Amino acid sequence: MHSSRPTWERVAVSIDSSTISAVGLHVTGLTVSYNGVPAVRGIDLAVAGGEAVGLIGPNGAGKSSSLLAIMGATARTGAVRINGRDASGLVPEKVVRLGIALVPEGRHVFADLSVKDNLRLGGVARRTKSGAQEAMDKVMDLFPILREFASRPAGLLSGGQQQQLAIGRALMSDPDVLMLDEPSLGLSPTAVDTVFEALAAVRAAGKAVLVVEQRAEFTIAFCDRTYVLHDGVITLSLKPEDAENVQILTEAYFG
Amino acid sequence: MSQFIQSLVDALSAGAVLGLAALAIGLVFGVIRLANFATGEIITGAGYALVLTWDLGWYVAIPLSILVAVILSLLMELAVFSRMRKAGPATLLIASFGVSFLLQRVYELIFGNNVRSAPVASNLSQSVEVAGIRLQLLSVTAIVLSAILLVLLQLFLTRTTLGLQLQAAAADFTTARLVGIPASRVIGLSFVLSGVLAAAVAFVLTTQSGAVGPTFGVRITVLALVGAVIGGIDKISGALAGGFLVGFASSMLETWLPQGVGNFRDAFVYVLVIVVLLLKPSGLLVRGRGAVRT
Repeated sequence: MHSSRPTWERVAVSIDSSTISAVGLHVTGLTVSYNGVPAVRGIDLAVAGGEAVGLIGPNGAGKSSSLLAIMGATARTGAVRINGRDASGLVPEKVVRLGIALVPEGRHVFADLSVKDNLRLGGVARRTKSGAQEAMDKVMDLFPILREFASRPAGLLSGGQQQQLAIGRALMSDPDVLMLDEPSLGLSPTAVDTVFEALAAVRAAGKAVLVVEQRAEFTIAFCDRTYVLHDGVITLSLKPEDAENVQILTEAYFG
Repeated sequence: MSQFIQSLVDALSAGAVLGLAALAIGLVFGVIRLANFATGEIITGAGYALVLTWDLGWYVAIPLSILVAVILSLLMELAVFSRMRKAGPATLLIASFGVSFLLQRVYELIFGNNVRSAPVASNLSQSVEVAGIRLQLLSVTAIVLSAILLVLLQLFLTRTTLGLQLQAAAADFTTARLVGIPASRVIGLSFVLSGVLAAAVAFVLTTQSGAVGPTFGVRITVLALVGAVIGGIDKISGALAGGFLVGFASSMLETWLPQGVGNFRDAFVYVLVIVVLLLKPSGLLVRGRGAVRT
Protein backbone atom coordinates (compact mmCIF):
# COMPACT_ATOMS: atom_id res chain seq x y z
CA MET A 1 0.00 0.00 0.00
CA HIS A 2 2.75 2.42 0.95
CA SER A 3 5.61 0.57 -0.72
CA SER A 4 5.58 2.97 -3.65
CA ARG A 5 6.55 5.86 -1.40
CA PRO A 6 10.18 6.57 -0.74
CA THR A 7 9.88 5.62 2.85
CA TRP A 8 11.79 4.11 5.68
CA GLU A 9 12.94 0.62 5.75
CA ARG A 10 11.10 -1.37 8.35
CA VAL A 11 13.07 -2.70 11.24
CA ALA A 12 12.07 -6.19 12.20
CA VAL A 13 11.27 -6.20 15.89
CA SER A 14 11.86 -9.72 16.98
CA ILE A 15 9.23 -10.99 19.32
CA ASP A 16 10.11 -14.18 21.04
CA SER A 17 6.89 -16.17 20.80
CA SER A 18 7.61 -17.96 24.06
CA THR A 19 7.13 -14.70 25.95
CA ILE A 20 3.76 -13.83 24.46
CA SER A 21 1.82 -15.37 27.30
CA ALA A 22 4.05 -13.81 29.97
CA VAL A 23 3.63 -10.53 31.80
CA GLY A 24 3.87 -7.55 29.50
CA LEU A 25 2.64 -6.06 26.28
CA HIS A 26 2.81 -7.66 22.84
CA VAL A 27 1.71 -5.79 19.77
CA THR A 28 1.83 -7.17 16.24
CA GLY A 29 0.80 -5.46 13.02
CA LEU A 30 -0.81 -2.50 14.78
CA THR A 31 -2.42 -0.22 12.22
CA VAL A 32 -4.39 2.97 12.84
CA SER A 33 -6.06 5.14 10.21
CA TYR A 34 -7.89 8.41 10.50
CA ASN A 35 -10.44 8.87 7.71
CA GLY A 36 -8.52 6.45 5.54
CA VAL A 37 -5.16 8.14 6.14
CA PRO A 38 -2.80 5.73 7.87
CA ALA A 39 -1.14 7.09 11.03
CA VAL A 40 0.37 3.85 12.25
CA ARG A 41 1.28 1.18 9.71
CA GLY A 42 1.66 -2.27 11.07
CA ILE A 43 4.08 -1.85 13.93
CA ASP A 44 5.31 -4.65 16.18
CA LEU A 45 6.26 -3.96 19.79
CA ALA A 46 7.06 -6.02 22.83
CA VAL A 47 7.66 -4.86 26.38
CA ALA A 48 8.30 -7.44 29.06
CA GLY A 49 7.97 -7.05 32.82
CA GLY A 50 10.88 -5.17 34.38
CA GLU A 51 11.74 -3.55 31.07
CA ALA A 52 11.40 0.01 29.81
CA VAL A 53 10.91 0.64 26.13
CA GLY A 54 10.99 4.06 24.51
CA LEU A 55 9.14 5.26 21.46
CA ILE A 56 10.53 8.39 19.86
CA GLY A 57 10.11 10.13 16.55
CA PRO A 58 9.05 13.41 14.99
CA ASN A 59 5.63 14.98 15.52
CA GLY A 60 2.89 13.13 13.70
CA ALA A 61 4.91 9.93 13.52
CA GLY A 62 2.07 8.01 15.15
CA LYS A 63 3.39 7.72 18.70
CA SER A 64 0.30 8.89 20.56
CA SER A 65 -1.95 7.09 18.11
CA SER A 66 -0.14 3.86 18.90
CA LEU A 67 -0.69 4.23 22.65
CA LEU A 68 -4.35 5.18 22.25
CA ALA A 69 -4.86 2.28 19.86
CA ILE A 70 -3.32 -0.16 22.34
CA MET A 71 -5.84 1.12 24.92
CA GLY A 72 -8.72 0.59 22.50
CA ALA A 73 -9.44 4.32 22.47
CA THR A 74 -9.17 4.56 18.71
CA ALA A 75 -10.11 2.14 15.94
CA ARG A 76 -7.30 -0.18 14.94
CA THR A 77 -6.33 -3.47 13.36
CA GLY A 78 -3.59 -5.82 14.46
CA ALA A 79 -3.12 -7.89 17.56
CA VAL A 80 -2.66 -6.49 21.06
CA ARG A 81 -2.00 -8.89 23.89
CA ILE A 82 -1.69 -7.75 27.48
CA ASN A 83 -0.34 -10.31 29.92
CA GLY A 84 -1.05 -12.88 27.28
CA ARG A 85 -4.70 -11.91 26.94
CA ASP A 86 -6.20 -10.70 23.71
CA ALA A 87 -7.34 -7.07 23.85
CA SER A 88 -8.92 -6.90 20.39
CA GLY A 89 -12.31 -5.30 20.16
CA LEU A 90 -12.30 -4.19 23.79
CA VAL A 91 -13.29 -0.68 24.93
CA PRO A 92 -10.73 1.25 27.05
CA GLU A 93 -12.44 0.52 30.37
CA LYS A 94 -12.13 -3.21 29.61
CA VAL A 95 -8.55 -2.97 28.33
CA VAL A 96 -7.46 -1.31 31.58
CA ARG A 97 -8.74 -4.32 33.47
CA LEU A 98 -6.31 -6.60 31.63
CA GLY A 99 -3.52 -4.89 33.60
CA ILE A 100 -2.41 -1.89 31.56
CA ALA A 101 -2.66 1.85 32.22
CA LEU A 102 -1.97 4.94 30.13
CA VAL A 103 -0.80 8.29 31.46
CA PRO A 104 -2.17 10.50 28.69
CA GLU A 105 -0.39 13.37 27.04
CA GLY A 106 -1.18 16.60 28.84
CA ARG A 107 -1.76 14.70 32.10
CA HIS A 108 -5.57 15.13 32.07
CA VAL A 109 -6.05 15.05 35.80
CA PHE A 110 -9.62 15.74 36.95
CA ALA A 111 -9.01 19.37 37.86
CA ASP A 112 -12.06 19.97 40.06
CA LEU A 113 -11.58 16.80 42.09
CA SER A 114 -9.13 16.48 44.96
CA VAL A 115 -5.83 14.67 44.59
CA LYS A 116 -7.20 11.86 46.72
CA ASP A 117 -10.37 11.53 44.64
CA ASN A 118 -8.28 11.43 41.47
CA LEU A 119 -6.31 8.55 42.94
CA ARG A 120 -9.48 6.85 44.15
CA LEU A 121 -10.82 6.94 40.59
CA GLY A 122 -7.61 5.36 39.37
CA GLY A 123 -8.46 2.45 41.63
CA VAL A 124 -11.79 1.82 39.89
CA ALA A 125 -10.09 -0.54 37.45
CA ARG A 126 -8.31 -2.63 40.08
CA ARG A 127 -8.45 -6.31 39.32
CA THR A 128 -8.76 -7.20 42.97
CA LYS A 129 -11.29 -5.51 45.23
CA SER A 130 -8.96 -5.36 48.19
CA GLY A 131 -5.74 -3.43 48.52
CA ALA A 132 -6.91 -0.04 47.26
CA GLN A 133 -5.78 1.67 50.46
CA GLU A 134 -2.37 -0.02 50.28
CA ALA A 135 -2.06 1.02 46.65
CA MET A 136 -2.79 4.63 47.61
CA ASP A 137 -0.19 4.47 50.38
CA LYS A 138 2.34 3.11 47.91
CA VAL A 139 1.62 5.87 45.40
CA MET A 140 1.94 8.49 48.13
CA ASP A 141 5.25 6.97 49.21
CA LEU A 142 6.45 7.20 45.63
CA PHE A 143 5.21 10.80 45.30
CA PRO A 144 5.16 12.34 48.80
CA ILE A 145 3.81 15.62 47.43
CA LEU A 146 0.52 13.86 46.72
CA ARG A 147 0.16 12.99 50.38
CA GLU A 148 0.85 16.57 51.36
CA PHE A 149 -1.75 17.94 48.91
CA ALA A 150 -4.21 15.05 49.22
CA SER A 151 -7.27 17.22 49.71
CA ARG A 152 -6.29 19.98 47.28
CA PRO A 153 -8.13 20.23 43.93
CA ALA A 154 -5.88 18.68 41.28
CA GLY A 155 -6.24 21.76 39.08
CA LEU A 156 -4.31 23.81 41.61
CA LEU A 157 -1.19 21.63 41.42
CA SER A 158 1.84 22.64 39.35
CA GLY A 159 2.55 20.86 36.07
CA GLY A 160 5.11 18.58 37.65
CA GLN A 161 2.80 17.72 40.53
CA GLN A 162 -0.04 17.02 38.11
CA GLN A 163 2.22 14.67 36.18
CA GLN A 164 3.01 12.83 39.42
CA LEU A 165 -0.71 12.64 40.10
CA ALA A 166 -1.43 11.34 36.61
CA ILE A 167 1.19 8.61 37.05
CA GLY A 168 -0.07 7.86 40.55
CA ARG A 169 -3.63 7.59 39.25
CA ALA A 170 -2.47 5.12 36.61
CA LEU A 171 -0.58 3.07 39.21
CA MET A 172 -3.67 2.85 41.42
CA SER A 173 -5.08 0.08 39.22
CA ASP A 174 -1.86 -1.86 39.91
CA PRO A 175 -1.10 -2.39 36.22
CA ASP A 176 1.58 -4.73 34.91
CA VAL A 177 2.12 -2.46 31.94
CA LEU A 178 2.45 1.31 32.32
CA MET A 179 2.38 3.50 29.23
CA LEU A 180 3.21 7.20 29.32
CA ASP A 181 2.65 9.77 26.60
CA GLU A 182 5.22 12.57 26.79
CA PRO A 183 5.56 12.64 30.58
CA SER A 184 8.26 15.33 30.46
CA LEU A 185 6.31 17.76 28.29
CA GLY A 186 6.29 21.25 29.80
CA LEU A 187 8.02 20.21 33.02
CA SER A 188 11.00 21.81 34.72
CA PRO A 189 14.25 19.78 34.74
CA THR A 190 13.78 18.92 38.42
CA ALA A 191 10.25 17.75 37.79
CA VAL A 192 11.46 15.59 34.89
CA ASP A 193 14.00 14.01 37.21
CA THR A 194 11.32 13.21 39.76
CA VAL A 195 9.14 11.61 37.10
CA PHE A 196 11.91 9.46 35.64
CA GLU A 197 13.17 8.41 39.07
CA ALA A 198 9.67 7.16 39.73
CA LEU A 199 9.60 5.35 36.39
CA ALA A 200 12.88 3.66 37.28
CA ALA A 201 11.28 2.48 40.52
CA VAL A 202 8.24 1.23 38.63
CA ARG A 203 10.47 -0.69 36.25
CA ALA A 204 12.50 -2.08 39.14
CA ALA A 205 9.25 -3.32 40.65
CA GLY A 206 8.88 -5.60 37.65
CA LYS A 207 6.39 -3.65 35.61
CA ALA A 208 6.66 -3.16 31.86
CA VAL A 209 7.08 0.52 30.94
CA LEU A 210 6.42 1.97 27.50
CA VAL A 211 7.22 5.64 27.21
CA VAL A 212 6.61 8.01 24.32
CA GLU A 213 8.91 11.00 24.44
CA GLN A 214 10.19 13.99 22.48
CA ARG A 215 13.47 14.13 24.34
CA ALA A 216 15.35 11.53 22.33
CA GLU A 217 18.73 11.40 24.05
CA PHE A 218 17.26 11.21 27.49
CA THR A 219 14.82 8.47 26.52
CA ILE A 220 17.39 6.33 24.74
CA ALA A 221 19.65 6.50 27.79
CA PHE A 222 16.85 5.64 30.18
CA CYS A 223 15.17 2.82 28.30
CA ASP A 224 16.42 -0.69 27.71
CA ARG A 225 15.40 -0.31 24.08
CA THR A 226 14.09 2.64 22.12
CA TYR A 227 12.25 2.43 18.85
CA VAL A 228 12.19 5.26 16.38
CA LEU A 229 8.79 5.72 14.79
CA HIS A 230 8.66 7.55 11.49
CA ASP A 231 5.60 7.98 9.35
CA GLY A 232 3.81 5.23 11.20
CA VAL A 233 6.61 2.70 10.82
CA ILE A 234 9.35 1.64 13.24
CA THR A 235 12.59 2.48 11.47
CA LEU A 236 15.26 2.04 14.10
CA SER A 237 15.84 0.18 17.31
CA LEU A 238 18.35 1.81 19.62
CA LYS A 239 20.24 0.73 22.73
CA PRO A 240 21.19 2.99 25.66
CA GLU A 241 24.75 3.35 24.34
CA ASP A 242 23.35 4.96 21.17
CA ALA A 243 22.21 7.96 23.18
CA GLU A 244 25.35 9.89 22.50
CA ASN A 245 25.65 8.92 18.88
CA VAL A 246 24.58 12.14 17.22
CA GLN A 247 24.63 10.63 13.77
CA ILE A 248 22.13 7.93 14.65
CA LEU A 249 19.85 10.48 16.25
CA THR A 250 19.99 12.83 13.31
CA GLU A 251 19.28 9.98 10.97
CA ALA A 252 16.40 8.86 13.10
CA TYR A 253 14.70 12.23 12.88
CA PHE A 254 15.76 13.62 9.53
CA GLY A 255 16.87 10.64 7.49
CA MET B 1 -42.13 45.61 51.68
CA SER B 2 -44.17 42.51 52.39
CA GLN B 3 -45.16 42.36 48.75
CA PHE B 4 -41.48 42.47 47.82
CA ILE B 5 -40.56 39.61 50.17
CA GLN B 6 -43.53 37.65 48.87
CA SER B 7 -42.32 38.11 45.30
CA LEU B 8 -38.79 37.27 46.39
CA VAL B 9 -39.91 33.95 47.84
CA ASP B 10 -41.94 33.21 44.71
CA ALA B 11 -38.93 34.05 42.55
CA LEU B 12 -36.64 31.89 44.68
CA SER B 13 -39.07 29.04 44.22
CA ALA B 14 -39.32 29.57 40.46
CA GLY B 15 -35.53 29.73 40.32
CA ALA B 16 -35.16 26.57 42.37
CA VAL B 17 -37.48 24.58 40.14
CA LEU B 18 -35.89 25.85 36.95
CA GLY B 19 -32.49 25.14 38.48
CA LEU B 20 -33.54 21.52 38.99
CA ALA B 21 -34.76 21.29 35.39
CA ALA B 22 -31.50 22.81 34.10
CA LEU B 23 -29.58 20.37 36.27
CA ALA B 24 -31.55 17.49 34.76
CA ILE B 25 -30.31 18.66 31.36
CA GLY B 26 -26.78 19.56 32.52
CA LEU B 27 -26.09 16.17 34.12
CA VAL B 28 -26.66 14.34 30.85
CA PHE B 29 -24.96 17.01 28.78
CA GLY B 30 -21.84 16.81 30.91
CA VAL B 31 -21.42 13.15 30.14
CA ILE B 32 -22.50 12.68 26.51
CA ARG B 33 -22.84 16.23 25.11
CA LEU B 34 -26.56 15.80 24.65
CA ALA B 35 -28.72 18.84 25.41
CA ASN B 36 -31.84 16.74 25.80
CA PHE B 37 -34.84 18.77 24.70
CA ALA B 38 -37.03 15.75 25.37
CA THR B 39 -36.42 16.28 29.10
CA GLY B 40 -39.70 18.20 28.77
CA GLU B 41 -41.54 15.02 27.84
CA ILE B 42 -40.04 13.20 30.81
CA ILE B 43 -41.54 15.95 32.96
CA THR B 44 -44.84 15.59 31.11
CA GLY B 45 -44.82 11.82 31.58
CA ALA B 46 -44.21 12.17 35.31
CA GLY B 47 -46.94 14.83 35.42
CA TYR B 48 -49.48 12.50 33.80
CA ALA B 49 -48.52 9.77 36.26
CA LEU B 50 -49.20 12.14 39.16
CA VAL B 51 -52.50 13.47 37.86
CA LEU B 52 -53.89 10.12 36.75
CA THR B 53 -53.02 8.20 39.91
CA TRP B 54 -53.39 10.92 42.54
CA ASP B 55 -56.69 9.50 43.84
CA LEU B 56 -54.86 6.27 44.73
CA GLY B 57 -52.91 8.24 47.31
CA TRP B 58 -49.73 10.27 47.20
CA TYR B 59 -47.69 7.28 48.33
CA VAL B 60 -48.64 5.57 45.08
CA ALA B 61 -48.63 8.56 42.78
CA ILE B 62 -45.29 10.08 43.74
CA PRO B 63 -43.15 6.90 43.57
CA LEU B 64 -44.96 5.95 40.35
CA SER B 65 -44.19 9.33 38.78
CA ILE B 66 -40.51 8.97 39.67
CA LEU B 67 -40.51 5.49 38.19
CA VAL B 68 -42.17 6.70 34.99
CA ALA B 69 -39.64 9.53 34.65
CA VAL B 70 -36.64 7.26 35.19
CA ILE B 71 -37.95 4.63 32.77
CA LEU B 72 -38.73 7.24 30.10
CA SER B 73 -35.30 8.75 30.53
CA LEU B 74 -33.50 5.41 30.24
CA LEU B 75 -35.74 4.34 27.38
CA MET B 76 -34.85 7.32 25.21
CA GLU B 77 -31.18 6.72 25.94
CA LEU B 78 -31.43 3.04 24.97
CA ALA B 79 -33.71 3.45 21.98
CA VAL B 80 -32.24 6.60 20.45
CA PHE B 81 -29.21 8.29 21.96
CA SER B 82 -27.10 5.20 22.64
CA ARG B 83 -27.27 4.48 18.92
CA MET B 84 -25.67 7.77 18.00
CA ARG B 85 -22.66 7.93 20.31
CA LYS B 86 -20.36 9.29 17.63
CA ALA B 87 -22.70 12.11 16.63
CA GLY B 88 -21.88 15.70 17.54
CA PRO B 89 -23.83 17.83 20.02
CA ALA B 90 -25.85 19.51 17.24
CA THR B 91 -27.02 16.18 15.81
CA LEU B 92 -27.89 14.93 19.28
CA LEU B 93 -29.89 18.07 20.02
CA ILE B 94 -31.87 17.69 16.79
CA ALA B 95 -32.48 14.02 17.59
CA SER B 96 -33.81 15.06 20.99
CA PHE B 97 -36.23 17.46 19.25
CA GLY B 98 -37.43 14.47 17.30
CA VAL B 99 -37.95 12.42 20.45
CA SER B 100 -39.71 15.38 22.05
CA PHE B 101 -42.22 15.86 19.21
CA LEU B 102 -42.79 12.13 18.91
CA LEU B 103 -43.63 11.80 22.60
CA GLN B 104 -45.93 14.84 22.47
CA ARG B 105 -47.91 13.10 19.71
CA VAL B 106 -47.93 9.86 21.68
CA TYR B 107 -49.32 11.68 24.74
CA GLU B 108 -51.92 13.29 22.51
CA LEU B 109 -52.97 9.90 21.15
CA ILE B 110 -53.19 8.27 24.56
CA PHE B 111 -54.52 11.08 26.76
CA GLY B 112 -56.11 13.40 24.22
CA ASN B 113 -55.45 17.02 23.50
CA ASN B 114 -57.26 18.33 26.56
CA VAL B 115 -55.56 18.60 29.89
CA ARG B 116 -56.01 15.92 32.51
CA SER B 117 -56.39 17.34 35.96
CA ALA B 118 -56.37 16.30 39.60
CA PRO B 119 -55.95 18.19 42.86
CA VAL B 120 -52.32 17.13 43.27
CA ALA B 121 -51.14 18.00 46.78
CA SER B 122 -53.91 20.59 46.97
CA ASN B 123 -53.17 21.31 50.61
CA LEU B 124 -49.97 22.96 49.41
CA SER B 125 -51.85 25.58 47.42
CA GLN B 126 -52.89 27.49 50.51
CA SER B 127 -50.84 30.32 51.89
CA VAL B 128 -49.30 30.70 55.31
CA GLU B 129 -48.57 33.82 57.23
CA VAL B 130 -45.07 34.23 58.61
CA ALA B 131 -44.30 37.43 60.54
CA GLY B 132 -47.06 39.28 58.77
CA ILE B 133 -46.01 38.12 55.33
CA ARG B 134 -48.28 35.84 53.34
CA LEU B 135 -46.32 33.10 51.63
CA GLN B 136 -47.49 30.48 49.17
CA LEU B 137 -46.92 27.15 50.90
CA LEU B 138 -46.11 25.69 47.50
CA SER B 139 -43.32 28.21 46.95
CA VAL B 140 -41.77 27.30 50.28
CA THR B 141 -42.17 23.60 49.49
CA ALA B 142 -40.47 24.02 46.13
CA ILE B 143 -37.52 25.77 47.74
CA VAL B 144 -37.19 23.15 50.48
CA LEU B 145 -37.60 20.26 48.03
CA SER B 146 -34.94 21.69 45.71
CA ALA B 147 -32.57 22.31 48.60
CA ILE B 148 -32.96 18.74 49.84
CA LEU B 149 -32.42 17.29 46.36
CA LEU B 150 -29.35 19.45 45.82
CA VAL B 151 -27.80 18.42 49.12
CA LEU B 152 -28.48 14.75 48.38
CA LEU B 153 -27.07 15.09 44.87
CA GLN B 154 -24.01 16.91 46.18
CA LEU B 155 -23.43 14.18 48.78
CA PHE B 156 -23.84 11.52 46.13
CA LEU B 157 -21.45 13.21 43.70
CA THR B 158 -18.71 13.90 46.23
CA ARG B 159 -18.98 11.09 48.78
CA THR B 160 -19.63 7.99 46.69
CA THR B 161 -17.33 6.30 44.20
CA LEU B 162 -20.15 6.20 41.68
CA GLY B 163 -20.70 9.93 42.10
CA LEU B 164 -17.01 10.62 41.62
CA GLN B 165 -17.08 8.51 38.48
CA LEU B 166 -19.95 10.60 37.15
CA GLN B 167 -18.09 13.82 37.94
CA ALA B 168 -14.96 12.54 36.24
CA ALA B 169 -16.90 11.46 33.16
CA ALA B 170 -18.62 14.85 33.01
CA ALA B 171 -15.27 16.62 33.23
CA ASP B 172 -13.31 14.49 30.75
CA PHE B 173 -15.10 11.53 29.24
CA THR B 174 -12.15 10.14 27.27
CA THR B 175 -9.78 10.19 30.22
CA ALA B 176 -12.46 8.74 32.48
CA ARG B 177 -12.70 5.72 30.20
CA LEU B 178 -8.91 5.39 30.02
CA VAL B 179 -8.85 5.35 33.81
CA GLY B 180 -11.33 2.51 33.69
CA ILE B 181 -14.66 4.13 34.42
CA PRO B 182 -17.32 2.16 32.52
CA ALA B 183 -18.97 4.49 30.01
CA SER B 184 -22.31 2.69 29.97
CA ARG B 185 -22.58 2.84 33.75
CA VAL B 186 -22.04 6.59 34.09
CA ILE B 187 -24.22 7.38 31.09
CA GLY B 188 -27.05 5.28 32.49
CA LEU B 189 -26.58 6.90 35.87
CA SER B 190 -26.80 10.40 34.40
CA PHE B 191 -30.11 9.53 32.73
CA VAL B 192 -31.48 8.04 35.96
CA LEU B 193 -30.58 11.15 37.98
CA SER B 194 -31.94 13.35 35.23
CA GLY B 195 -35.22 11.40 35.42
CA VAL B 196 -35.46 11.81 39.20
CA LEU B 197 -34.92 15.57 38.91
CA ALA B 198 -37.50 15.78 36.12
CA ALA B 199 -40.00 14.00 38.38
CA ALA B 200 -39.37 16.56 41.12
CA VAL B 201 -39.97 19.37 38.64
CA ALA B 202 -43.16 17.63 37.47
CA PHE B 203 -44.39 17.40 41.07
CA VAL B 204 -44.03 21.13 41.68
CA LEU B 205 -45.57 22.06 38.31
CA THR B 206 -48.56 19.74 38.68
CA THR B 207 -49.18 21.02 42.18
CA GLN B 208 -49.16 24.55 40.81
CA SER B 209 -51.48 23.95 37.88
CA GLY B 210 -53.26 20.71 38.75
CA ALA B 211 -53.48 19.99 35.03
CA VAL B 212 -51.27 18.20 32.53
CA GLY B 213 -51.47 18.32 28.73
CA PRO B 214 -49.23 16.93 25.96
CA THR B 215 -46.98 20.01 25.97
CA PHE B 216 -46.88 20.39 29.75
CA GLY B 217 -43.09 20.20 30.08
CA VAL B 218 -42.11 22.25 27.04
CA ARG B 219 -41.97 25.78 28.42
CA ILE B 220 -39.89 24.95 31.48
CA THR B 221 -37.52 22.88 29.36
CA VAL B 222 -36.91 25.71 26.91
CA LEU B 223 -36.19 28.05 29.81
CA ALA B 224 -34.04 25.43 31.53
CA LEU B 225 -31.99 24.91 28.37
CA VAL B 226 -31.55 28.65 28.12
CA GLY B 227 -30.54 28.78 31.77
CA ALA B 228 -28.09 25.92 31.37
CA VAL B 229 -26.46 27.67 28.43
CA ILE B 230 -26.23 30.98 30.29
CA GLY B 231 -24.63 29.38 33.32
CA GLY B 232 -22.31 27.20 31.29
CA ILE B 233 -23.89 23.87 30.39
CA ASP B 234 -20.42 22.32 30.45
CA LYS B 235 -20.36 22.43 34.22
CA ILE B 236 -22.97 20.87 36.46
CA SER B 237 -22.89 23.86 38.81
CA GLY B 238 -23.10 26.19 35.82
CA ALA B 239 -26.31 24.64 34.55
CA LEU B 240 -27.86 24.81 38.00
CA ALA B 241 -26.93 28.44 38.58
CA GLY B 242 -28.06 29.49 35.11
CA GLY B 243 -31.39 27.74 35.51
CA PHE B 244 -31.91 29.40 38.86
CA LEU B 245 -31.07 32.81 37.44
CA VAL B 246 -33.53 32.50 34.56
CA GLY B 247 -36.33 31.26 36.82
CA PHE B 248 -35.68 33.97 39.36
CA ALA B 249 -35.50 36.73 36.76
CA SER B 250 -38.58 35.50 34.94
CA SER B 251 -40.64 35.45 38.13
CA MET B 252 -39.43 38.87 39.27
CA LEU B 253 -40.18 40.34 35.87
CA GLU B 254 -43.67 38.88 35.95
CA THR B 255 -44.37 40.57 39.28
CA TRP B 256 -42.69 43.89 38.76
CA LEU B 257 -43.02 44.69 35.07
CA PRO B 258 -45.80 47.23 34.46
CA GLN B 259 -49.22 45.85 33.65
CA GLY B 260 -49.47 44.85 30.01
CA VAL B 261 -45.73 44.44 29.61
CA GLY B 262 -45.66 41.51 32.03
CA ASN B 263 -47.03 39.26 29.35
CA PHE B 264 -43.78 39.71 27.49
CA ARG B 265 -41.57 38.61 30.38
CA ASP B 266 -40.13 35.74 28.40
CA ALA B 267 -38.96 38.24 25.80
CA PHE B 268 -37.11 40.10 28.55
CA VAL B 269 -35.56 36.84 29.70
CA TYR B 270 -34.28 36.20 26.19
CA VAL B 271 -32.84 39.71 26.00
CA LEU B 272 -30.94 38.84 29.17
CA VAL B 273 -29.74 35.65 27.51
CA ILE B 274 -28.50 37.49 24.43
CA VAL B 275 -26.61 39.99 26.57
CA VAL B 276 -24.96 37.22 28.60
CA LEU B 277 -24.04 35.23 25.52
CA LEU B 278 -22.55 38.28 23.85
CA LEU B 279 -20.41 39.03 26.88
CA LYS B 280 -19.56 35.48 27.97
CA PRO B 281 -20.23 33.00 25.16
CA SER B 282 -19.11 30.00 27.19
CA GLY B 283 -21.39 30.74 30.12
CA LEU B 284 -21.17 32.80 33.27
CA LEU B 285 -19.48 30.21 35.44
CA VAL B 286 -17.03 28.79 32.94
CA ARG B 287 -13.58 30.24 33.15
CA GLY B 288 -11.14 30.41 30.27
CA ARG B 289 -11.69 27.93 27.48
CA GLY B 290 -15.17 27.72 26.04
CA ALA B 291 -17.57 24.83 26.09
CA VAL B 292 -15.82 23.10 23.21
CA ARG B 293 -14.67 19.65 24.23
CA THR B 294 -11.11 18.78 23.31
